[in-house]
Amino acid sequence: MRVIKQRPMNWIERLYIFEAIRGLWTTLKHAARGLFRYETLPTISYPEGQPEIRNTYRAKHRLMLRPDGTPRCVACGMCAAACPAHCIFIEATQSDDPRIEKRVMRFDIDHLTCVFCGLCVEACPVDALRMDTKVISFEHRTREEFVSHLFDLTNWDPKDYPNDPQSQVAPGGTKNAEALKVWGMEVK
Amino acid sequence: MDIIESRTWIEWVITIAKFAFCFVPVLYILLLIPMERRGAGFMQDRQGPNRSYIKIPYFGKIRLLGYVQNFCDGTKLFFKEMFAPAGVNKFLYYVAPAIPFAIVFLSPCVIPWFGPMVFDWGGKAVRISGSIIDSEVGVLLLFGLSSLSAYGAVLAGWASKSKYSFLGALRTSSMTVSYEVCLGLSMMGILLLAGSFNLTDIVSWQEHHVWGIVAQPVAFFCFLIACIAETGRAPFDVAEGEPELVAGYHTEYGAMQFGLFYMGEYSHICINSFLVATLFLGGYSVPFITTETMQAHMGGSLAILCGVLAFLVLAFLHMIYRYSRKLKATNLTHRFEVLREYSLYKICAWVAVAVLIALGVCSWFFYNPENFVVNGFAVGSFATAVGTALIHLLVLVVKSVMFCWVWIWVRWTLPRFRYDHVMHLGWKIILNIALINLVVTAVVAKLVGGN
Repeated sequence: MRVIKQRPMNWIERLYIFEAIRGLWTTLKHAARGLFRYETLPTISYPEGQPEIRNTYRAKHRLMLRPDGTPRCVACGMCAAACPAHCIFIEATQSDDPRIEKRVMRFDIDHLTCVFCGLCVEACPVDALRMDTKVISFEHRTREEFVSHLFDLTNWDPKDYPNDPQSQVAPGGTKNAEALKVWGMEVK
Repeated sequence: MDIIESRTWIEWVITIAKFAFCFVPVLYILLLIPMERRGAGFMQDRQGPNRSYIKIPYFGKIRLLGYVQNFCDGTKLFFKEMFAPAGVNKFLYYVAPAIPFAIVFLSPCVIPWFGPMVFDWGGKAVRISGSIIDSEVGVLLLFGLSSLSAYGAVLAGWASKSKYSFLGALRTSSMTVSYEVCLGLSMMGILLLAGSFNLTDIVSWQEHHVWGIVAQPVAFFCFLIACIAETGRAPFDVAEGEPELVAGYHTEYGAMQFGLFYMGEYSHICINSFLVATLFLGGYSVPFITTETMQAHMGGSLAILCGVLAFLVLAFLHMIYRYSRKLKATNLTHRFEVLREYSLYKICAWVAVAVLIALGVCSWFFYNPENFVVNGFAVGSFATAVGTALIHLLVLVVKSVMFCWVWIWVRWTLPRFRYDHVMHLGWKIILNIALINLVVTAVVAKLVGGN
């Protein structure tokens, strides 16, 4: 057992009044900061000012895209298996591309059930699922609207992820043209 | 010391008009609540309530720096349902919240709001006291009235038929009783020096000698602590201690009944800060300048007053401009809306600056009323007296607002005392210090050869 010995108060501290004045000085400094340097207050006036979110923050999901715009997901179901909240629903169907066996027909994530643990992202073998959209507020009228469908999950803009080369491969990205060339025609 | 017994109509008008000062504590509530809430916010590195607004054309949402929140809170409290829990004593339950609030209108009656107005009116010298009631018992009357507000708490606690309320009421009564003693005794030193219970005399003594805070620094501290304790706010809010007693004596109250307690508390702060300012900070007297000097140079004094006010408004403008610049650089989505709102403040403040400077210049050149001497007393004209009263009133308000800030400041700084600590502090420390201070003051005053 570890015993923490506190330093006994000296007589000035035990008089209380001087320590009280010291405390008053501290709060006065803070009050003056609020009054004269209002913009340095650490609080954010939320709906108008958004907090800075890093791209490692586990926010709303998105599905990565191939250069031709199809979702990268191969419908293996690993994410749904890894999900502790059972909020991912996948239906697979046959892919049109001969190189790829399955494609995803339905990919729903119920954000009311999701616990934002990020295990689905870890589980994905093809890096199709990510949680770096920085969307942290979910406000909808009905429960159904909280369920993100395939269209919603793939409907992102590469311009929002300028530093991520994988995102730039998608249609509209800076590396899409060359990626499409590599992806494309030699097999077909 | 009436110079000449007279009752001209102007005297009656002013005497009746002085009753308007009864509403000063209620007006102070409007000042104190936003000051408290935003001050608390700043001390805790928050922004405080700043969202409620009034929408007006062109300028958009006017938030008055968070001041509109007041009206929203008041309106909400006012339109909530009043109810009484089952088993309460209906009459006492409903009458209790009114008591502290009613006291608020009576308490300010002996506080001198300005120096005695002495002026010449149609060849007669008229003297009008600065307080509503120029009583010889003065400050005792004030104490008697302000401690009556404990009845409100006690009745509320008893009538609510709730253990929490009852305990809160017991604690309030014991606190009030203990700290009234300290309050009275710590004040005795200054009364001894001034030789009067009349607050006007005390202020004029301070004006001609030194301020009470210099003459009686120990008493000042004791008085301030006892005053804070008597209002029952943190760190002395054992009566409504949230952790153990829900909300103390007003646990069972809601809506405007709670609002009355709340307003009564704030008015109590106001009255106590007026009292501290009057007893220890020279009341209405202007620092370093006697009333006679001021009256001899009335125009100049008013010009300086206008200059000080104009400077304060300019400082406010500087803050607004500075913050607008910073706000423009941020990426808040409502920044242009806020800048539009600030443009209204800028316009108002610039107009105020112009008006104040114009007033100052005008009073410097044109407001130089003649002063007369009647029966050996310097008696000014009515214009001099009004100008003096105005300056006195403003000075008193500034001093009391400063002390109101002390109340808020202490509340949001110090942790609350345990109940036995409060009693220990009251009876064993402050009371003893006040007693020793009184004895020392008496001996010194006798040796130095005062009255």
